[in-house]
Formats: sequence, structure tokens, C-alpha cells
Amino acid sequence: MGVTTFLAQADELRAPAVDYGAVAPVLIVLGAACASVLFEAFLSKSQRWIGQVVLALITLVASGTALAIYAGDAPEQGTLTLSGALAVDRPVLFLWATLLLLSFGSILLIADRSVEPGGAFVAEAGVRPGTVQDRAQAAKSGMQTEVFPLTLFALGGMMVFVAANDLLTMFIALEVLSLPLYLMCGLARRRRLLSQEAAVKYFLLGAFASAFFLYGVALLYGYAGSVKLADIAAAAAGTNRSDTLLFAGFGLLVVGLLFKASVGPFHAWTPDVYQGAPTPVTAFMAACTKVAAFGGILRVLGIAFEATEWEWRGVLWGVAIASMLIGAVLGLTQTDVKRMIAYSSVAHAGFLLVGSIALTPEGLSGTLFYLLAYGFTTLAAFGVVSLVRDADGEATHLSQWAGLAKRSPVVAGVFTFLLLALAGIPLTSGFIGKFVVFSAAVQDGMAPLVVVALVASAVAAFFYLRVIVLMYFSEPAPDGPTVSVPGAFTTVAITLGAVITLVLGLWPAFVLDWAGAGAFIS
Amino acid sequence: MTPTYYLLLSALLFSLGAVGVLVRRNAIVVFMCVELMLNAVNLSLVTFARINGELDGQIMAFFVMVVAAAEVVVGLTIIMSIFRTRRSASVDDSNLLKY
Amino acid sequence: MLDPYLPLVFMFALAGAFALFSVTAAPYIGPRRYNRAKLDAYECGIEPSPQPVVGGGRMPVAYYLTAMLFILFDIEMVFLYPFAVSADRLGLFGLVEIALFVATVGFAYAYVWRRGGLDWN
Repeated sequence: MGVTTFLAQADELRAPAVDYGAVAPVLIVLGAACASVLFEAFLSKSQRWIGQVVLALITLVASGTALAIYAGDAPEQGTLTLSGALAVDRPVLFLWATLLLLSFGSILLIADRSVEPGGAFVAEAGVRPGTVQDRAQAAKSGMQTEVFPLTLFALGGMMVFVAANDLLTMFIALEVLSLPLYLMCGLARRRRLLSQEAAVKYFLLGAFASAFFLYGVALLYGYAGSVKLADIAAAAAGTNRSDTLLFAGFGLLVVGLLFKASVGPFHAWTPDVYQGAPTPVTAFMAACTKVAAFGGILRVLGIAFEATEWEWRGVLWGVAIASMLIGAVLGLTQTDVKRMIAYSSVAHAGFLLVGSIALTPEGLSGTLFYLLAYGFTTLAAFGVVSLVRDADGEATHLSQWAGLAKRSPVVAGVFTFLLLALAGIPLTSGFIGKFVVFSAAVQDGMAPLVVVALVASAVAAFFYLRVIVLMYFSEPAPDGPTVSVPGAFTTVAITLGAVITLVLGLWPAFVLDWAGAGAFIS
Repeated sequence: MTPTYYLLLSALLFSLGAVGVLVRRNAIVVFMCVELMLNAVNLSLVTFARINGELDGQIMAFFVMVVAAAEVVVGLTIIMSIFRTRRSASVDDSNLLKY
Repeated sequence: MLDPYLPLVFMFALAGAFALFSVTAAPYIGPRRYNRAKLDAYECGIEPSPQPVVGGGRMPVAYYLTAMLFILFDIEMVFLYPFAVSADRLGLFGLVEIALFVATVGFAYAYVWRRGGLDWN
């Protein structure tokens, strides 16, 4: 039966129309990723770093330009292209711009070779940690430049992920963004074993989660006979099919998505991976993966499962509450700066989920704004973390940060500002982000959830303040860490993050307008 | 033979894989359990393709196979690199990262 | 009457000619380095028993790497199958797409080859 149907369809096979203007930003990034692989193959060792950095930065600028040109006269309601596999609409354009800006900062952090001589990445990944050769590679000035193609592939995957209009495309994009990240986690120059352990944990749990996602896709395919989000929505809206497949599929799919977004209780990997991975990679993951994952969650919930909202809303309420409380409470007990920001990201994932399940235009625009604001704050925060160092590399233990303000008032000041933004204090982007998300949730009748969110914010604010107090009102230890003077790259990245955090806190209106410019197309 | 049996078999295999990931200790075996889960999904996909009378599900199974192969390569590379350090692939030995 | 099978006959003839050509040409073109492993009954990387004592009887790492690369490039070719069965209907567009796909795989191959992934030692 299958073959005859196929042959009947086959006579009508036509080339799908491709709106090259709309997908140009993605094509540029993925094309550059391929070029970057060829650079690795054919450039000599001494030319690779400079070649890769120039290529990556040019790519991001070119892709951003293509995006700006397209956004200038893009159709208001968006467009579907590649036979409906990709949807390019206003929210997607906003997310693409966010991803490109954030990866610009991340690439700068990744490329920096001034803070750690030779960069934060291992010179020879094949060397066994703890051996003589390993100490020799730590002193070398080179680095594995494969990290640049990996970053570009991950970015390409993220851009496709947020625009994917069917679940198969979404799955492929999920893997294209995840596989490079698994590898990048294991490439730290110092503390190799920790870094490799992070990679193993991230990989095993990530593969487990993508299997769940995939089984969800299969069940939804069985339910709706198609993996297109619009078809699933249509099937769910009016049919007498078995709801078992729909809700089992929904549950498994959402588990996979929530894992990527590090929403508690699916956050188990987050602290370990954030701590073990090289700090620039952590910054990239914390900022960009979060944006991509929530972009996907917004689209899946907003299009495919809008009609069944009242069936699943209670469950996601529970998940959001769990995430906010886990992040806020466990964050209090942390003694490592990177782990602390990791738990803070779990709490923030909960706040973002509050906005995502309010399926209103305000919920959508609020979540998009929050993602942009949070991404830049956390990017800059990890940039600052990479500056505080002692002889063993980064000094991430909180006790080593005591009295940092006396050693380096500027770095302590910037970090204080970023922590206040993470806590959501007025005059920072964090406050506006929380405000728009929570007010959208209240309008959508989720007042009790917002009360929990406010309590969690208050608890979380405590551990940010604890670090600030530690930096300003403690005596520095005599053998404490020094603060490296950052080179141009890291300085630009941190400044970019801090300035955007401030600007969005003072004049959020234009970005809010942009975030609320349109709705999803399916 | 109704296709439903294949769906049940697929669900069974998927659950076996999921349980295996949770209880086994060797990273390689954990990883093989993940592969089992992916292949269980493939069985579901082709069964649904048969039920729906289209080929979409079979093409999706191709994609899953390719992704699984790429995942194998990345995963084994990571597991090998840590195995060479520790001479052990037990996930219990990976205990440096905790609070 | 025999028309539909004619391409098949050509295919067989072509395959036979290729095999014959390869076997004949190999001794003249390829370098000749004999070792014991090549004379084994199964030449697939695994030493026949008794297993080597060194390395605890484990397979050499080089074998794992080569096997991984083989699987990776081998499985990519699964996409050629759906293309092949509808090649005539897809026309030029399909050809361009599949050429792009093969080129992308080629980039990965170029990387592996240039960086020594195919060297056994």
C-alpha cells in the first residue's frame, strides 16, 4: 500500500520553493561552518587561529546584515519556506538577532588569548590529563581551533531549531546544536579531567533526553499522521483519535525540550557541565542554548498545543514552580561561582517557563525580551568569572572572591551590576524582563504562579547579595587570586553584555516593541 | 498480525533502554541503552508509516539512523578520552563534579 | 520485451568490468608491502586468537577510530537511497541538492584525511 501511494505522489514531485532572502542568515552561518572545517583541513597550524577568528566574526556580521536587510521589508505575518519546514516570522527574526548578537560575544570570549596564554582551550585534546605531556600542552600557546567550526555548527543548529516548523527538522537541529556542545565541553586547557567529566555527563544525559524527544515525535506522528506543528494542532483541535498518543507524545517531547533549557527537575546536568566546561563555552551554552531551547518551547506550545492548553497547563505550572524553587534554594548552598550561576540559570529557566506557558502576545514578547536580557547578563558574568585567576587557572571558589573589590574595584563593580541584574533589581534589564513576564502571566490568570515566582526571586536575590557582600566587606586573602587585565576581545564581550544590560534596564521600550512586533506563523 | 504489536514491542524496547540508562554503571553500556531507545523509536516510526500508509515515517527513520551514528562517534570519542585517563568507563567514577 | 532489464544487464557488465579492472590494475598501480596480517584469513583489523597480550587483549585504538570513521561515512550514504529511487522525478533540482550533500560529506572527508585520521599508525 505504502509504495503505491508513494508512486502516486511521486508524479507531483516538485522542487520546494526556497525563499533565499529569508533563510540567508542560516545559510551563511552553516556555509561558513563548512568553510571553517576546510580551514582546519588546509591551513597550516600557525594560520588557523587568525583565519578562524576572522572567518567567524565576518560570518556573524554578514549573517546579521542579511537578517537586517530581510527584516527591513519582511512580510508582516512571516513566511513559510522549504515546503513549510522553516517558518521565518517576527519572533524568529528576533530570536535570530538575539542568537547572533550573543554568539558574537561568545566568539570573542572563545577567541581570547590574553587572559589565559594561548586561550581557554586545550592545545592537544588527545593528551592524557595529569601527565607530563599534559603540563607541556597547558604551557603551549596554541589551541584546538576546531572549537570555531563547532561553535558555528552549534549556532546554525540553534537558528534552525527556533525556526523549525516540523518536529523532524527540530530534532535534526537539536542534534546539530547539541553534538558540538558535547565536544566543546571537554576542551578546557586546565582541569582537563573535570572538563572531560562534564563532557561525559552532558553527553549521556543529553542523548537520553533526545531519545525522549524523539519518541515523543514518533508518537505525535502516529497521532496526527504528520510531524508538522500545524497538522498536530489541527489533529488535536477536532478529532476523536486516542488522546493517549497525543499526551504521551507531548510529555516525552516536552521533557526533551525542558532538558535542553535546563528547567528543573530536568536540570541535573546543568551545574556539573557549567562548572566543568571551559568558561567561554559555559557562557555560550548559558546564553545561546537557553535562547534556542525556549524559542523551540514557545513555538511548540504556541502552535502545536495551543488547543490543548488546559490539559497540560497544570503540569507545566508544577515544573515551573519546581524549577524556580530548586534553582533558588540549591543556589544558596553553592560555594563555587560557576555552579552558583548555573543554579541561577535553573531559577531563570523557571521564570522563563512562566512566560512561555502564558500563550498570549504579551507572554511571547515578554519571554523574548527576557531571553535577550538574560543572555547578555549571563554572558558578561561568565566573562568576568574568567578574569579572576590564580596559579591553577580560574579561581572559582567563592572564598577566593573575598575582598575582590579592594584588588580590582572595576571588575567587582561590573560583577555587582550583573548580579543585581540577575536578581532583578530596578534600572537593570533583569527587572524589566521579570516585570513583563510576570505581568503577562498575571493577565493570563496565573497569579498564584507569579506569587511563587516572586518568592523565588527574593530567595535567589539573597545569594547574589551574598557574593556582593563578600566582595566588598571581606578582607582579601593574602594568597588570593589576581584579576587579569583582559585583552580587547574579552573587554568588548563584557562591555557589550554590561552595556546592553544597562540600556535595556533604562530604555526597554524599543526592544519591547520589536519583541512584540508579530506572532508565530504556522 | 496487527501493527499494534510492533508499537507495543517498540514501547517495550524503549522502556528497556530507559531502565538500562538509569541502572547500568558502565558508560559504554549506558550509551548502548540510549541507542536501543533510538532504535525503538525507529520501529515506532516505520510502524506508524505503515498504519498511515505513507513513507514519511521511513524517511524519518533514515534521519534517526544517521543522527544516531553521529552520536555514536561523538559519544565514543568522549568516553574514550576519559577512559584513557581513568582506565575505567564506570559512570560512578566520574565524581569530581559535585557540590 | 527485455527493455526494462537492459539497464540491469549493463549494470552487471559494468560491475564485472570494474572488479576485473581493479584486480588487474592493483598490482601495477599500488605499492606492495606485505605483512603477516594481510595473509590472514579475515583481514578486518582483529588479530586472530590467541589475542595479543599487550594492552590486556584489547583491540588497538586505531581500529576503533577507523571503524568509527567508516560507520560515519557509510551511514551518510543512506540518503542516496531515497534520492536514487526518485532521481528521474526530482530532475535537476534533486541532482544539485544531492551534489551539495555529497560535497558537504566531502568537506568532512577532506578534514579527516588532511589531519591524519586515515593513517593507521
